Amino acid sequence: MSAGPYNYSYIFKYIIIGDMGVGKSCLLHQFTEKKFMSDCPHTIGVEFGTRIIEVAGKKIKLQIWDTAGQERFRAVTRSYYRGAAGALMVYDITRRSTYNHLSSWLTDTRNLTNPNTVIFLIGNKCDLEGQRDVTYEEAKQFADENGLMFVEASAKTGQNVEEAFLETARKIYQSIQDGRLDLYAADSGVQHKPSQPGRNTLTNDQQSNKDNCAC
Amino acid sequence: MDDVLTETVPTDDLKRFEKVYHEQLYKNDVTPKAQFEYAWCLVRSKYPADIKKGIVLLQELYKSHDEGQRDYLYYLAIGNARIKEYSKALSYVRAFLSIEPGNQQVISLESTIKKKMDKEGLVGMAMAGGVVLAVGALVGLGMAVASKKS
Ligand SMILES: Nc1nc2c(ncn2[C@@H]2O[C@H](COP(=O)(O)OP(=O)(O)OP(=O)(O)O)[C@@H](O)[C@H]2O)c(=O)[nH]1
Ligand SMILES: [Mg+2]
Repeated sequence: MSAGPYNYSYIFKYIIIGDMGVGKSCLLHQFTEKKFMSDCPHTIGVEFGTRIIEVAGKKIKLQIWDTAGQERFRAVTRSYYRGAAGALMVYDITRRSTYNHLSSWLTDTRNLTNPNTVIFLIGNKCDLEGQRDVTYEEAKQFADENGLMFVEASAKTGQNVEEAFLETARKIYQSIQDGRLDLYAADSGVQHKPSQPGRNTLTNDQQSNKDNCAC
Repeated sequence: MDDVLTETVPTDDLKRFEKVYHEQLYKNDVTPKAQFEYAWCLVRSKYPADIKKGIVLLQELYKSHDEGQRDYLYYLAIGNARIKEYSKALSYVRAFLSIEPGNQQVISLESTIKKKMDKEGLVGMAMAGGVVLAVGALVGLGMAVASKKS
């Protein structure tokens, strides 16, 4: 860990979207707490979670907004899309309707985020193989056609959950390294927190006081 | 650092939902949906006056519209916590948990509120005054909030 004012160098903003009941909150909970909630009530509005991960030796804080899938929240949850660096788009492999709605979720995401936003498709509940309603192949094809990353995962067993969150971060980090993602654009969904005080920009300096007392 | 108590609504979103609500108000035909969407944006405003307005709209909904009760309680707790009405915020949290015990989202809201109070020294003050911070001991907490303000 660096000795700077932060114990992380970047903040990445994520959103989790998809139909109600596909397991968005369970995926978040599995990722942040390593636990499965077998009886999870519908999310109200949005839920928030964080975890610090490491990519290429850099500590990154993921700031994750888990949106409610129920229709009545749809209009307002859209305001959380703005400035997301990563979007996890989830469907339930045992319910075809949740898969059929993906193109509308994707349209929303593309319209409301920036071109560098990494979109990761997750086919959740892959532990329920017997009830499968969507094949791996067709979802993979959908992902390829639309330039999305894709895995099947299970919030219950934890299978591929880490991978989805971490791969998204690696891809975002890669865009920063390539210079495609402008760190200082308001909507990039990424904040840089330099750990060497000498390299602090004005904005980072101002924020550091606030953040220091937060931990 | 952003969380459910500090993130703010984009101004154009607030304006958009405000417009819909006002149009319906003008026709004297406000739907619970429009009122909720507007109130939800208001309680995420950076201006306390907006948040207070949002709370009033949510209280109205809570009394008149059975279907969205859990949504209204949740955002009443958030709105009150954002204007530092912590004892009210926690009473909404408790009302929610008495109906739906074990709801992770609300339990985590409760801990976010308590952390915020902690940071502002409110929990510490209540403790120092010999007030045990437990369910039902909110009178002491209310006093702590009041004395902090004055
Ligand atoms: N078998 C199995 N069940 C799961 C899995 N993920 C979630 N569930 C169950 O599916 C139900 C819905 O999960 P949630 O995480 O609440 O779904 P959500 O997408 O957050 O739903 P909304 O908040 O309404 O949008 C819960 O009862 C979970 O226990 C999984 O990977 N496998
Ligand atoms: Mg949920």
